[in-house]
Parts: sequence; structure tokens; C-alpha cells
Amino acid sequence: MAAPFTLRKIGVPPNSANLTEARRRVFDFFRAACRSIPTIMDIYNLQDVVAPSQLRFSISAQIRNNAHVTDPKVIDLLLFKGMEELTDIVDHAKQRHHIIGQYVVGEGLVQNTGSKDQGKSDFLKNFYTSNYF
Amino acid sequence: SKLPYNPPPRIYHATLKRVLRKASSFQSISFGRFQSSKRIRLQISCAAKPETVQKVSDIVKEQLALSADTALTAESKFSALGADSLDTVEIVMALEEKFDISVEETEAQNITTIQEAADLIEDLVQKKPTAQAS
Repeated sequence: MAAPFTLRKIGVPPNSANLTEARRRVFDFFRAACRSIPTIMDIYNLQDVVAPSQLRFSISAQIRNNAHVTDPKVIDLLLFKGMEELTDIVDHAKQRHHIIGQYVVGEGLVQNTGSKDQGKSDFLKNFYTSNYF
Repeated sequence: SKLPYNPPPRIYHATLKRVLRKASSFQSISFGRFQSSKRIRLQISCAAKPETVQKVSDIVKEQLALSADTALTAESKFSALGADSLDTVEIVMALEEKFDISVEETEAQNITTIQEAADLIEDLVQKKPTAQAS
């Protein structure tokens, strides 16, 4: 059995110098999140609800959501928020219905899933916001 | 605290294990050079087993959502199958879960084909039981 993975909480590291380092941090974060999945399933009793591969997919989908970002500082901030979310989940600060609603079911229950208005036209965006444009 | 005798320079693996078990009650064991990872083990370098390659191929197909009749050879690269870098990391994590191993970041960066992944898995699975026995 591989050694159990524990999430170490380190302080805020300095900003990444370039895109390569930011990308490395993204992968480190993703690996930390995937290795915490057994703990998460244990805490929230998700064994019958979801498979670990589905949780991995939802994590990667959220990362892919922001894949178009190129500024290392923005990436750092997104990683910080992601790390905060992961720490909250692992600390049992959330509840089962939060996890199921946000990461298992995915669509519909949380507003900001899906790509951030990338493919939509300006006409549709204006149409959705107001009647007068 | 040290052992009351000096172990002979050439000590075989089995004898070393017996010595270690006896000495387990001591607080700190300093064997000097015997504590190094130079185990006298015959290393046969061969290709990974076909069933390992098959399991890796199944995981890759599932991860990249390829159809079941896509021909996957051992040398097919992940990037050629339409995987980006995040997909590669996800495949490595799925393999970690499936084979119950832990892949280091430096090792994971070198994986580009199915054969390399299978070789690395075989290597880690082989190392695991010896780490648990000592």
C-alpha cells in the first residue's frame, strides 16, 4: 500500500517567475488534489455515490476551465483559491451536499461552471444581460 | 547505541535482515555503509509484462475517451492520441490509483509513451514489497 498522502499547509509562496513554473505548480496542485481523493471519499462517505476517476475528471475540468490564462500572477491566484478550497474540503469544513453539488453533479447547481463566455458572440451576451443594446 | 560486535564487511541480505530485526529494540542503529540502499539484488532489466501494458492501455483509452477498437501499440505517444499535458498527469494519477504506487514528479515528467509508463509501473511495483519487508 502506498504511503498515505497528507496535505501539508505551507504559507503563500512567492509569485512564479514565468509560465513554466506556474504550469509546474498547477500540476503539483492537481497531483495533491488527486492524492487527497481517498481521504475525501472517506470523510464524506462518497463510496456509493461517485468513483475516484469521476472526481479526478471534475478537478481537471475545473483546471481546464481556466486553461486559457497566460499571466503567471493570475495563475498563482487561481491556484491559491483552489488550494484554499481543497484545504477546506480535506479539513471537513464543508458538508456532503456541498461536495456532491459542486463536484459530482457538476452542472446546474453551481452557476459558474463551463467556459467563461469564450465562444459566445457579443450579440448573445448583450441579449442575455439586457433588452437595450 | 551500537551493536556489541563489528559486523563483517560482506554481509548478505538475509543476514542483514536478521541483524536488523534483533537490533530493532535499540534507539538508533548506525550501520554506516550498510544503511545505504546498495542491496545485493540481481537487477534484470526487461520490458514490462504484457498484462501491465494492457491495463495501462485500458486506462489511457478510458481517460482520453477513445473508442474501444482504437489500436493502441506500446509505442504510441500520449500526445499523438490527443492528450494535453494535464491529461498526461491525470493518466499518471489514474495509474497510481490502479496499481497503488506513488510516482515522483521527476519520474512522471519522462513518461510519454505507454511502454515507458508500463516500465515505470513495473519498477515501482517491484520496489514496493522489498520496502515493506525491511
